[in-house]
Amino acid sequence: MRRQEAIEVLANGRGSAISVATMQSIVPWHNAGQGEFDHLDAQRCMGSASSLGLGLALAVPDRNVFVLDGDGSLLMQLGSLVSIAHARPRNLYHFIFANGVHETTGNQPLPGAGVFDFCVLATGAGYQGAFSVSTRDEFEEQLPRILDTPGPVLVNLVIDREDDRSAGSAGVPMASQIKALRKSFGPTDDNSP
Amino acid sequence: MTTQDEAVARPVPGQAVVDEILRLGIEYVITVPDSVQRTVLELLAQLEKPRLLTVCTEDEAMGVNAGLYAGGVNAMLCIQNNGVLASLNAIKAITLDAQAPTLMLVGQFGRDVRLPASESRNRAVRLLAPTLEAWDVPHYPLEGPEDIGNIAAAFERAHRDSGPAAVIIGAPTS
Repeated sequence: MRRQEAIEVLANGRGSAISVATMQSIVPWHNAGQGEFDHLDAQRCMGSASSLGLGLALAVPDRNVFVLDGDGSLLMQLGSLVSIAHARPRNLYHFIFANGVHETTGNQPLPGAGVFDFCVLATGAGYQGAFSVSTRDEFEEQLPRILDTPGPVLVNLVIDREDDRSAGSAGVPMASQIKALRKSFGPTDDNSP
Repeated sequence: MTTQDEAVARPVPGQAVVDEILRLGIEYVITVPDSVQRTVLELLAQLEKPRLLTVCTEDEAMGVNAGLYAGGVNAMLCIQNNGVLASLNAIKAITLDAQAPTLMLVGQFGRDVRLPASESRNRAVRLLAPTLEAWDVPHYPLEGPEDIGNIAAAFERAHRDSGPAAVIIGAPTS
């Protein structure tokens, strides 16, 4: 499956979910029109998408939270699987774009690529469900079942290696996204900037 | 044995710290446990609100705090000096660049309370404040019970300036 195909399936299935994207998924997610509302890009903090998503999921329990993570990114804060499972957010759906390489820096192979298994790691950490899909059709077919499973749920999206990597930024400052989210979800009498 | 007269930093009652946290309306305290704040963490663990949430790394703590803030919930961190050093990239990206208000109580693990931190032989103790200053992170001392108001001052600073603010706890809480 190409990254773009997975992005399209996720965009079609997003509904009212809040989203967090990182690294190579940021630009295609924005290009699919998904960066304009209830969204946060984890920028300059590789590995932090999952913990940002955990905070949002705890703060807004009546909305699903989609985290669009990378395999190399998640490896940088692998303990977050345990932290998320410990906090038990039923509304957190953790999608891993898994191509086995650090695409942004030039497709260098990940340590343990082809050996470690995120689904095993997630269920071992205490996630309520874990799925792996490798084609667009399979992802489209599985997504309703995935979203019927109470979180936290991890979905390993097996995607192709690509050479036309993006800049990794849609040009929207993370600070302005946090402020917009706070305005949407914060207390009405909030005086925070 | 160190007497009160010999100590530069003196214990602050854990209950006084918790009372400040409650007064500020903080809903989540995120921690990678710190022995300097052991009594604070024990008291918080008995409360339903704020919820005490233990995570695996201080990087994660910065992210969870920012996500909670974005979602409308005020939170804070209880970590130790080594945790600040471990999470500098997250401090840079999430609290400074992304301007997420982040109050962190930081315990001076390994400090000899008879000496000023700046004279400590423990590198993490001695260089914590200079490290925070190098990254433009404002910090406030909690060297004794008389400094308890600095927790609220740091909270207000973090929210007013949309960034990090640290309270450095000089001696184990009682």
